[in-house]
Amino acid sequence: MKRPAPRTMTLARIWLQQIAVLAAKEIRQLLRDRALFIYTVYIFTANILIAAGGASNELRDAPVRVHDADRSVASRDLIYSFQEPQFRLAGEVDSPTEALRLLDRGEAQMVLDIPSDFEISLRRQQPAHVQALIDTSQANIGYLASSYTARIVARYSEPWVQRNIIRAGGDPRQLPTIKNELRVWYNPGLDSKWFNTISELLTMVTVACILLPAAAMIREKERGTLEQLLVSPLTPLQIMLSKLLSMMLVMLCGTAVAIFGIMMPLYHVPFVGSVPLFFLLAALYAFTNAGLGLVAATFARNSAQVGLVVLLMVMPIVMLSGTWTPMESMPVWLRGLMYFSPLRHFIEIAYGILLRGAGFGLLWDSVLPMAAIGVALFALGLARFRRQFT
Amino acid sequence: MNLARVFTVAQREWREILRDRIYFLLAFLLPVMLMLVFGYGMSQDIENIAFAVVDEDHTPMSRDYAHHFIESRYFSFKGYLPDAGAADRLLARRKLRMVIVIGPRFAEQLRGGRTARIQTLIDGTFTTSTRTIQAYVEAINLAANAEIRAGQLARRLGLPPQRVAALMQPVVLDVRYLYNQEVRSIWAVAPGLIMLILMLVPPLLMALSVVREKETGAIYNVCSSTITRAEYLTGKLLPSVAISCINAVILWLLATLYFGAPFKGSLVFFAVATLLYILCTTALGLLISLLVRTQQAAMIISLVMSIIVSIQFSGLITPVSALAGANYAFAHAFPAMYYNAMVKGAFLKAVGFEVLWPQLLVFVLYASAVFFMCYLLFRKRTRT
Repeated sequence: MKRPAPRTMTLARIWLQQIAVLAAKEIRQLLRDRALFIYTVYIFTANILIAAGGASNELRDAPVRVHDADRSVASRDLIYSFQEPQFRLAGEVDSPTEALRLLDRGEAQMVLDIPSDFEISLRRQQPAHVQALIDTSQANIGYLASSYTARIVARYSEPWVQRNIIRAGGDPRQLPTIKNELRVWYNPGLDSKWFNTISELLTMVTVACILLPAAAMIREKERGTLEQLLVSPLTPLQIMLSKLLSMMLVMLCGTAVAIFGIMMPLYHVPFVGSVPLFFLLAALYAFTNAGLGLVAATFARNSAQVGLVVLLMVMPIVMLSGTWTPMESMPVWLRGLMYFSPLRHFIEIAYGILLRGAGFGLLWDSVLPMAAIGVALFALGLARFRRQFT
Repeated sequence: MNLARVFTVAQREWREILRDRIYFLLAFLLPVMLMLVFGYGMSQDIENIAFAVVDEDHTPMSRDYAHHFIESRYFSFKGYLPDAGAADRLLARRKLRMVIVIGPRFAEQLRGGRTARIQTLIDGTFTTSTRTIQAYVEAINLAANAEIRAGQLARRLGLPPQRVAALMQPVVLDVRYLYNQEVRSIWAVAPGLIMLILMLVPPLLMALSVVREKETGAIYNVCSSTITRAEYLTGKLLPSVAISCINAVILWLLATLYFGAPFKGSLVFFAVATLLYILCTTALGLLISLLVRTQQAAMIISLVMSIIVSIQFSGLITPVSALAGANYAFAHAFPAMYYNAMVKGAFLKAVGFEVLWPQLLVFVLYASAVFFMCYLLFRKRTRT
């Protein structure tokens, strides 16, 4: 009665061995395809280094031009309050028309216009109007410029306010003040390198996890070796699994190199949470995306088409999943649609584990949808893969 | 040139476009998709930030302070929380991006003319938006402070509130936002996207349509027929230009009606400029198609060219005046840069024919020159 057990055991072992052999072949093939191999190494190393220095979207050295019609002590004091790191005084302009021209050409972020009665108005306790022309074609930077300006003007006004209150018979020391202390969590120094490198890694992992399996599959199709595989004793499931596992392995190694070799030692990106949990969920993410890549490969006939299909899928996924633009600002229908993007869930997981030290208890509502999307895509890919040849 | 033959080629081409599923998808779905994806992806507006308030004071004054945030268009109020512990949990689960904690003696301290300390906890995971959120909070806090101080001082000194407000604000800052009065980034992004998409899609469509005939061998039918080179090229060009014109209208509607970007300039100018721009970019695609042999190469070359030109050398992100030497010259060799100025002008600055007519003239010359180059390159007699 003991016989059947070892028999199924050996069958299972053969089944797994076949997958392992095929997966090894996939990896060897990737290593020998020079273009794809260089690309894979690049995205996990040099690309992360480049991303670290990327756009931080903060206001830095914004050129300020001044039109000072007053030329008084008070106006000069105000002008010199605009200092680095946010602003850089880029010189004076003679007329408002010239100011507009400089703004048009992008040579000034802001133009400050101080009227000729600035100091006199201050002394007479009348409102002294200062105009700030701000280029808001990049809305975010424009907003930051205006808010820093408001802060600088408020600080500049402080001594004048106190004088005015004393003159009116009040006591400036008895003014109520709300002091709002801002505490930034999970990245107290607001180091944009943390955010930039992590989001670049996630983007690249997404591209690689969709593109590599799709490319591996389409290569077999183009060269006709897929028919060879199909007449072999291998099942479609084994063929797909082998491609998936090999690419998953490549992706996990690349991620490990990127995190432990570059992001942590060079940029001090923290790894607060559990390492095994992170890589387990990264593997799940790779599986989900590979499903997407395999589905794409079944729709295309050659590598040009697969490139196009992958491009059409990756672009919205990468741009709209919430790394580069906050989800909250999107309309409700788009947010609903992005629920089906695997990256949208993996962003929660990756940032959660790396920066916040989140465990499975906090992440299950991201893990479950991601797993469900992965299983659905893989099943679809398998079904379409079988149908292509019957 | 025999117009009947041109028309026949165009008609055949049109039918083929409608029948090829992938090509049809590229022609009509790609532009709309790109507009939506980049429209939402490139706009950096930070709004509807989910926040909550922990109010341990429970006074009209503390509620007043919270209201400053609740009424802002940038924040979306999710309710009051019982204690800071709940705030921690919701921040960790990313249900909230910000929590304001108002301590128990808030109103009392303020009424005594002292400093009341409160805390704002912000999720710093996404550094780009965190910085903007900080700026929002500080601006609102500044306004709330001014209001409370003025109110209290007016009562204490027995002066009219307006007078006190003037005393408290000796320097009045009038901010004028140029180009984009509501500081919505989509206003500036949407016109730029029209430039980008019309640089990307028409060359791709055009290049694929000729190379496809080379791949399938259908080009030999053309070579052996009585049709002249100019007739064939014009016939190929027309349907592609027509599709791109339809797309341009769709993109314009998306930009103005869907994204709500203002259109201040002249519609006639915009239409003429866009038509000429499409002619230029389509002609570039035709040029590519004559130089390569496979659809794959045509696609890669046209995409790479379009992406590099439209993103780096068009003034979309960095102004062309900031480019140095060779890059500056390179930018001037493609129509994207001129059209970017036109589209921005037509949308945001209401500039039209009177300022930009030289650029239109450049387009006419450009399209004719490229088309003439295609005419010279295209040979019915094959080399082999």
